[in-house]
Amino acid sequence: MPLFEWEEVKIMVDEDGFMENPEEWNERVALALASTEDISELTEDHWKIINYLRDYFKQYGIAPMIRKLCKETGYSLKQIYELFPSGPAKGACKVAGLAKPTGCV
Amino acid sequence: MSSKKIDIKVTDISKGQGILVPIEPVDEIKLPPPYDKLEELPGFKKLTQQALDKYDGYVDGVIAVGVPKPQNEEEEQKLVESFLSGLMKLFSNENNWTFLQPLVLSMEHCAKCQTCNHDCPVYEASGEEEIYRPTYRAEILRRLYFKYVKPGSPLLKKFQYGDIELNWTLISRLVELSYRCTLCRRCAQSCPIGVDNGLITHELRKLFSQEMGIAPKELHEKGTVQQLEVGSSTGMNALVVKDNIEFIDEDMSEKVGFKVETKWDVEGADVLLIHNAGEILSWPENPGAFAILCELAGIKWTLSSEAVGYDGVNYGLFYDDVQLARIVVKHAEIAKKLGVKKIVMGECGHESKVLGIIGERIIGGDVHTENALTFMENIINSGKLNLNPDRNYFPVTLHDPCNLVRIMGVVEPQRRILRKIAPKFREMHPHGVRNYCCGGGSGFAVMSGNNFADWRMHFSGKMKFKQILDAFADEDLNSNSPKYVCAPCSNCKGQIRDILDFYGAKEKSGIYYGGLVELIINAVDDLKEPFIDFDMM
Repeated sequence: MPLFEWEEVKIMVDEDGFMENPEEWNERVALALASTEDISELTEDHWKIINYLRDYFKQYGIAPMIRKLCKETGYSLKQIYELFPSGPAKGACKVAGLAKPTGCV
Repeated sequence: MSSKKIDIKVTDISKGQGILVPIEPVDEIKLPPPYDKLEELPGFKKLTQQALDKYDGYVDGVIAVGVPKPQNEEEEQKLVESFLSGLMKLFSNENNWTFLQPLVLSMEHCAKCQTCNHDCPVYEASGEEEIYRPTYRAEILRRLYFKYVKPGSPLLKKFQYGDIELNWTLISRLVELSYRCTLCRRCAQSCPIGVDNGLITHELRKLFSQEMGIAPKELHEKGTVQQLEVGSSTGMNALVVKDNIEFIDEDMSEKVGFKVETKWDVEGADVLLIHNAGEILSWPENPGAFAILCELAGIKWTLSSEAVGYDGVNYGLFYDDVQLARIVVKHAEIAKKLGVKKIVMGECGHESKVLGIIGERIIGGDVHTENALTFMENIINSGKLNLNPDRNYFPVTLHDPCNLVRIMGVVEPQRRILRKIAPKFREMHPHGVRNYCCGGGSGFAVMSGNNFADWRMHFSGKMKFKQILDAFADEDLNSNSPKYVCAPCSNCKGQIRDILDFYGAKEKSGIYYGGLVELIINAVDDLKEPFIDFDMM
């Protein structure tokens, strides 16, 4: 698995840049991962989504349904794409340190 | 630019160390405007140095599987021996009684007429790249079969069937090459003799997985292994799936104005519905629409909350008979335990094939299986739904999932439904059993590591995109008024989503995609609001 380095952050990521060890995530890691996603800074809106994803992931061990993410954070899918250009799964989940989604999703 | 000028022979697979044929996207399949400029498309991601250092199997500069490099010569030798032992097993009755006969027939009787070549969408999209010729990969196994398995004088066999050098270079490249075919079996259908190159590819994958432990992690580790351990290839355990379905039920109830409530583990139900669990996470309208359909039709139905029972996928079909058997047995046990009358498979091609063809025999007794398409047609024929086709007054075309249509022969039910509920339905060409694969078949839709996603777009999926555009040729492709690609299969939907994203076809031409059950519910005249909401898609 490749090593990804950004400033002082050093993490292992998979071929698509998702964290291999999600438990190593912290806010600096989020900034590092955001830099790979064409996101120049993490605003309050970004953090609301990231925090929701983190909380859900902690509780259930996987990423939430996209529909649920929208409904419970109040952001439309379009707004999520504006904040995370690769979208909720490939963009937001990556920055939030979740593992890459699996199965026919 | 095409690289087809490189003259490649079957024996070259064992030679050299680098990439056998570095491929690039070519313009062999012409797309209509505004999609006719290859140079405007995202390019092909080159492999990183890290990937090159880590993996073997350079056949075309693409990595789908990621074959680990052996650490030393001794390890390499062991891998070659294990391949040989797997090769013997493929051709022995006690180890491969299920597929031995068609495999041997496919080895012995290919007349090299090459009729199959132009039925392969990958070969076509690549500008007739030799390594993607359906018979290229097959010929490698054929020569190995004659050299190592078939009895006879070595010298005579070499003269009669051609030689090949077996080494790690060949094996590692053959692993990758066995993941450049979607197992759509269009080539098998066109063979005048009945040689099945799809089966040959499948048997190769089996050898690599069952004997050598080499398989794409999306199919094995994160696929069948996770499904058997956690309950679903998506990683959903029972708690999560129940929570998600409750959310979908609430969403649907709000939408339709009456209570939609999924029931779990109902003993003796008429129908145990098993969705591809990916639907629940990525396309919740699909299981939602099924729930509405069953409610409206007054069917006594249930979902299972037992591990594996709420996920119909069985990636074992694509690469490993043992994993396939483990999952299908689990599905059968769950249905028997609940004592349901039948299992209905959700809109998922490979699930339908596994349970409908293989599972039905394992389950036996009073439990039967039915695919979603005939199930839905019977409900429509029962007259229990009040349908108004004008509610679907937008252009609709139909994708034929290979497993359901070419392999199982379920061709007409979905068309009869569409003729009733979609006034602007039009066919793709060719269609039915002559359809083209979406390009995501055999598990490809869920594989996107390294640069394999690019390959799916430029090679395996290009013919399908052309078919979609051609089906809407009488519409304005520069207008984003909605056009609907109906794809009644989760795997195909994943691939079609990726293709439409890749070409920006939703923004440019208003091309949306979804299943069949959503169109049926959208035609139900009693609902206040349309079920399909293009703004949410």
